[in-house]
Amino acid sequence: MSDSRVIETAAGEPGVTETSVIETQALTKRYPRGVTALDGLTVAFAPGITGLIGANGAGKSTLIKILLGLVPPTSGRAIVLGRDTAASAERIRTLTGYMPEHDCLPPDVTGTEFVTHLGRMSGLPATAAKERAAESLRHVGLHEERYRLIGTYSTGMKQRVKLAQALVGDPRLLLLDEPTTGLDPGGRAAMLDLIARIGGEFGISIVVSSHLLGEVERICDHLVALERGGLLRADTMTSFTRVSHVLAVEVDEGRQELAAELTRRGLASRPDERALLVRLEGDATYDVVRDVIADLGLPLNRLEQRRRRVEELFRDDQAASHAPGGAA
Amino acid sequence: MSGETATNGEIAGHGGVIHDLGYQYYEGPRLGRAAIIRALQWHSLRSAFGIGRGVRAKIVPVLTFAIMCLPAVANAISAARGGGRIVPYDTYLFRLRGLVMVIFVAAQAPELVSRDLRSHVLPLYFCRPMRRLDYPLAKLAAFTVACLALVEIPLLLLYLGTIVSAGGGAAIWNQTKALIPGLLIGVAWAVLFAAIGLALASLTGRRAYATGAIAIYFFLSWSLASILIGVTGGRPGPAASPLTSRLAGLVSPPTVLEGVRQWLGGTSISPVPRPGSVGVLYGVMFLVLLGASLGGLAARYRKAGLS
Amino acid sequence: MSTIELSHVSRWYGNVVAINDITMTIGPGVTGLLGPNGAGKSTLLHLISGFLAPSRGELTVAGTASWHNPGIYRMVGLVPERDSVYSFLTGEAFVRTTAQLHKLPDPEAATRRAIGIVEMADAQDRRISTYSKGMRQRIKVAAALVHDPPVLLLDEPFNGMDPRQRLHMMDLLHRLGEQGRTILFSSHILEEVERLSGTIQVIVAGRLAASGDFRAIRRLMTSRPHVFMVRTSDDRRLGACLIGRPAVTGVELTGRGLQVRASDYGAFSRELAVLARDEGIRLRELLPADESLESVFAYLVET
Repeated sequence: MSDSRVIETAAGEPGVTETSVIETQALTKRYPRGVTALDGLTVAFAPGITGLIGANGAGKSTLIKILLGLVPPTSGRAIVLGRDTAASAERIRTLTGYMPEHDCLPPDVTGTEFVTHLGRMSGLPATAAKERAAESLRHVGLHEERYRLIGTYSTGMKQRVKLAQALVGDPRLLLLDEPTTGLDPGGRAAMLDLIARIGGEFGISIVVSSHLLGEVERICDHLVALERGGLLRADTMTSFTRVSHVLAVEVDEGRQELAAELTRRGLASRPDERALLVRLEGDATYDVVRDVIADLGLPLNRLEQRRRRVEELFRDDQAASHAPGGAA
Repeated sequence: MSGETATNGEIAGHGGVIHDLGYQYYEGPRLGRAAIIRALQWHSLRSAFGIGRGVRAKIVPVLTFAIMCLPAVANAISAARGGGRIVPYDTYLFRLRGLVMVIFVAAQAPELVSRDLRSHVLPLYFCRPMRRLDYPLAKLAAFTVACLALVEIPLLLLYLGTIVSAGGGAAIWNQTKALIPGLLIGVAWAVLFAAIGLALASLTGRRAYATGAIAIYFFLSWSLASILIGVTGGRPGPAASPLTSRLAGLVSPPTVLEGVRQWLGGTSISPVPRPGSVGVLYGVMFLVLLGASLGGLAARYRKAGLS
Repeated sequence: MSTIELSHVSRWYGNVVAINDITMTIGPGVTGLLGPNGAGKSTLLHLISGFLAPSRGELTVAGTASWHNPGIYRMVGLVPERDSVYSFLTGEAFVRTTAQLHKLPDPEAATRRAIGIVEMADAQDRRISTYSKGMRQRIKVAAALVHDPPVLLLDEPFNGMDPRQRLHMMDLLHRLGEQGRTILFSSHILEEVERLSGTIQVIVAGRLAASGDFRAIRRLMTSRPHVFMVRTSDDRRLGACLIGRPAVTGVELTGRGLQVRASDYGAFSRELAVLARDEGIRLRELLPADESLESVFAYLVET
């Protein structure tokens, strides 16, 4: 995936080459009663799918409001798709789509009417709004349901409508706030696939704000973690989930014999939940483990190099390290 | 089967084509704020009359419109039989018009404004290329047009019904001269009722409460004004009434409008006594009510956040 | 004992059968309740806590029926999904009021203990309206624990919680489970359920689709071959050898490695290492592709 994208704006405006879709510089937002929502946040979001994570109150929603130009920052700058939010908020809103977390759908209109209307609110002419609404609904997988009233929809369908209205204006950047809220596991998987497809095939950059680190790990290329209004860490997903020098071995029975025999052959190990963790001393380790299991005739269930998990950022024993912010 | 991907993403080979149904970028025109506001206005105007929302939504608009037109139609029929025009252009039938307007505004203002509040859809508007105040502006413009239709179309029907049976250009010209002030004061009615209705409706997302609040405000204040006028000895007609009764009309929007009409020179008789020296207060009160409503609307929507 | 027992329990509303002939036993420890939206999870929790009557069947908690039994409220604590707290009260007042409603002999002490368990002592004198989502959940748990019930029911307890709050809540529930309480919680977040509960109960369209440890459930699905992803030093050669084994029904070379379908899980898991050793192929990675709770759940829902 290339690092830079030429962003074609509407009506033939010259494109802007960007290596980051969003950039903030010492962005600060203070509210009247001494509440500091953002405190000197400096971070860059690369193109692709970025997960935005952080505790409740870490500043994620405030950041989104500032990026959409809905709230002015107290100080600092935010640049979205090459434009400053202070000067070009309306232009930015033409190029972005937003999917809020909360319920925001009227129950007494059909899906088609709703998305078409919002298409017109995005500045599309009447026919284009109808056509793009139909296309957006098709892309999110709503078929005959689109002609029914939204009040009759299931949670999954409602989330899809919310996504369709974010797509109808052909945004270059999508801001999705907890897109899988209220969805059951099947619905969540479908929504994540959809988001991955939009970010991959459609070439739209996406920022997904989510509490569910598992899904963030699954679909995001980059990660931005906020803490108390500042940057906790920003990096590519692969560097977050780096492999460690530990091999995890799971056998359905005989774990103790396995550990003993490994020790006899010079490999230390320790148990961890269902697995046995063996220190990787090089490729030879794999072969020793294989041979021991084969010799003992044990049923092997899993063999993998342990990876770090995003969740480790939030464990209390992790010192909150404010890594130097930067592009992922 | 050999497939060659053409530049448009299609795959064509010997005798078959797979069309590219992938995501299309939008390369067409993007209309500016003005067009967006107009689209929202049109959408809201349709809501005001229940268009596109099933039969039940149309009951109140249609009924109120019909009732409002009734005197015009009745007068047209009697004019055709030789009777003159009984219904004045500038007051129309004051109590009927007031009642119908209150009902229409109380029923329909929530449709334009409370529904959106209830479904929390405002963030989806504000994250689009429009400014905060564009939303209430569009709503107000649309509702004012709706109220104008309710007020002016019956007047025009009355006019047409009269001139059809009138004889000669001089008579038609007289009717026209009488109509114009009626239309003008009708604009004041539409503007004030629309603004107050929307401002009150924007206070709550529950349509029933909004309707109740609007109805209660208008009916209560109007009853109060009527009672005060009666109790303080107010009399319709050219004879002067006591000062207190001339001030009593300031208490409610319909009576304020009547006071403004008479202050500006309207001569038709009305239950609201001629304001005389305090006429200018009615003008001021009109502006105060209008200003407060507009200010309330602006304040309400400036504050609305992203949730 | 704090065991929950259901015997042929059904619950219907007119034509809608919310719970359809469920028989299950839930013992001490943490059990996860899973199911698609509308499957009946909330209904089940309300049945167990005595807020709803079963239309048919028997439901007992520690041997006593839960409906029409005021005593049930002493044995069960329910943390409902909806925000049912009074925001103008302080956390401490809310829990203490609950304690008083339970007619506990020493409400203050019980309140202190419950608030201590959920670690909300420093926020207890603030109004609930100032609490974050995670704090509200915890104070609801405190109120549900104030009468020290042996059974705790939670409906979607992790909703809206950020990762740190979720970890705290999981630790809390884990601890409570270790104390011997019976904890039943419903959730959509399978990663959490996987980690927290030993046993799961899966409800689909009002019926009990499966119960137990999800790996054991997976192995019971013998009609579906197990799917594995293997990465080795020579995927193709290993694949050729594997397809010769009766336990293996299919191999496929993919970009991510060798995908193997095994009809006989036990045989395959024992043969793989042996085969690799005999052929001199290095085994780098073996991942069960569909032994996750998510796959098991998907299989259960679609059948």
